[in-house]
Amino acid sequence: MRRAAGIALWAAFLAPVALLLGWSFAWRWPWPAPLPERWQASAWTGLAATGGLGAAALRSLGIAGAVALVATSLGFVTSRSAVEARSGVALRWLLHLPFALSPVVLGVGLEYSFLRAGLAGHMVGVALAQGILAYAYAVILFCGLWNARTRAYLDGAATLGATPRQAWIRVLLPIARPLVVLCLVQTFLISWFDYALVLLIGEGRVATLTTSLYQFLLAGDLRLAAASGLILLLPPVIALAVRAQRRPPTFAGEWDL
Amino acid sequence: MTGPVSPQGLRVTGLAVRLGGRTILRDVEFTVGHRSTLAVIGASGSGKTSLLRVLAGLGDAAAGCIEVDRRRVDRLPAHRRGIVYLNQEPLLFPHLDVRANLAFGLRLRSRDAARVAAMVDPLIEALGLQGLERRDPLTLSGGERQRVAFGRALAVEPAVLLLDEPFASLDPATRLAMQALFRQVARSRGITAIFVTHDLKECLRVGDQFAAIRDGGCRLYEDRPAFCADPANGVAAEVAFWSAAADASGPD
Repeated sequence: MRRAAGIALWAAFLAPVALLLGWSFAWRWPWPAPLPERWQASAWTGLAATGGLGAAALRSLGIAGAVALVATSLGFVTSRSAVEARSGVALRWLLHLPFALSPVVLGVGLEYSFLRAGLAGHMVGVALAQGILAYAYAVILFCGLWNARTRAYLDGAATLGATPRQAWIRVLLPIARPLVVLCLVQTFLISWFDYALVLLIGEGRVATLTTSLYQFLLAGDLRLAAASGLILLLPPVIALAVRAQRRPPTFAGEWDL
Repeated sequence: MTGPVSPQGLRVTGLAVRLGGRTILRDVEFTVGHRSTLAVIGASGSGKTSLLRVLAGLGDAAAGCIEVDRRRVDRLPAHRRGIVYLNQEPLLFPHLDVRANLAFGLRLRSRDAARVAAMVDPLIEALGLQGLERRDPLTLSGGERQRVAFGRALAVEPAVLLLDEPFASLDPATRLAMQALFRQVARSRGITAIFVTHDLKECLRVGDQFAAIRDGGCRLYEDRPAFCADPANGVAAEVAFWSAAADASGPD
């Protein structure tokens, strides 16, 4: 039974990826044939020839990288205030709000003010809009770090002679490293996979990998869409592979993720 | 502001401790002699930990003065007081091995590896940590962890060491061994310490001076007999219990 459940899970997770892979190399794949009639790499060579796609991928990478770095850094630094603030409960409720809203609703809400501020239609505007989501996620994630154990570590370091700065660098950052890595990956992916905010705030002038993929779909080119979909999957797959290589964390604390 | 000249060691005068908006300790006065251990007994929730945290600079005193070796420290941040606080739970830094944990405080002050090693190596020997130097703290037993935490505190040669029920979570045999080790190391290294416990026997084993925290105050006893003579500390009750336990009828 467990074996069957395991196989079902693997199939559910891998089947969409296998289909994308099949379509990206298919010449024709008529229903209900289990495999394409003929294989060819024209989708991939077509993608390579599509000049805009490389630029869109680089743009996605740039925006997602910036969003991840800024949101993680700010979230890490400000999360303690969110935990210790007198209005902490209200603040944490507020931080959950971007998640309660869908990116589409957030985008609609932001569009007008971004337009007035001259941020609409620019990469910076898109990154800022995604940053709201990513920052909220980062703060919520790092709130878990500020528990009694972490404070006890910092207190212990202080009485051993560590200045607040030394305690952060030599104690807090190393023990928070798994969380920081997780936050970087997750906030990167929030931006990397975003479509709605890019479309609404970017006003069609900021082309990313997700908007390009959608363009292929709208144009009815399933093979190009499949190939660009696989490119879109690369960062999370690499992140998962790197994570699988790592020694599992041994620290029996709250950050054993 | 300069206070009256106090002897070497720790001197506390007129200290008040607040917790959650309530004064839990007031008019706390005591002096811990240089190189001696003040054993403080008190029930759970009596304010023992809060007192130690205030002394260490991890909490603010509502009033009073704290002097270490004739230097007023109550307005200094924790890292400048020279007072090390040893938690009940030996919180070893999980990203460092045993040796690096021991050297933590020294490395904050010195990059000279030879100097750090010269301080750490004798501690490893004194605390019986040979062979554990490269171990991950998570692979150590409770007693071993507490010895490393103790060593890490000793390595920085604190002016005052505060021990907050450090052996409470250990099994009786390990606890006894750790108490003996503490006595031996405290004497050989001349440590000035406050050892807080709720265990009467532990209090009598580790202390040179004795105090009890109860009813929002801290009473310092003149000497060991005075401490034992106070019925509130339960020494007489303990003696009576064991006498009765030895009788055929057993204790009530």
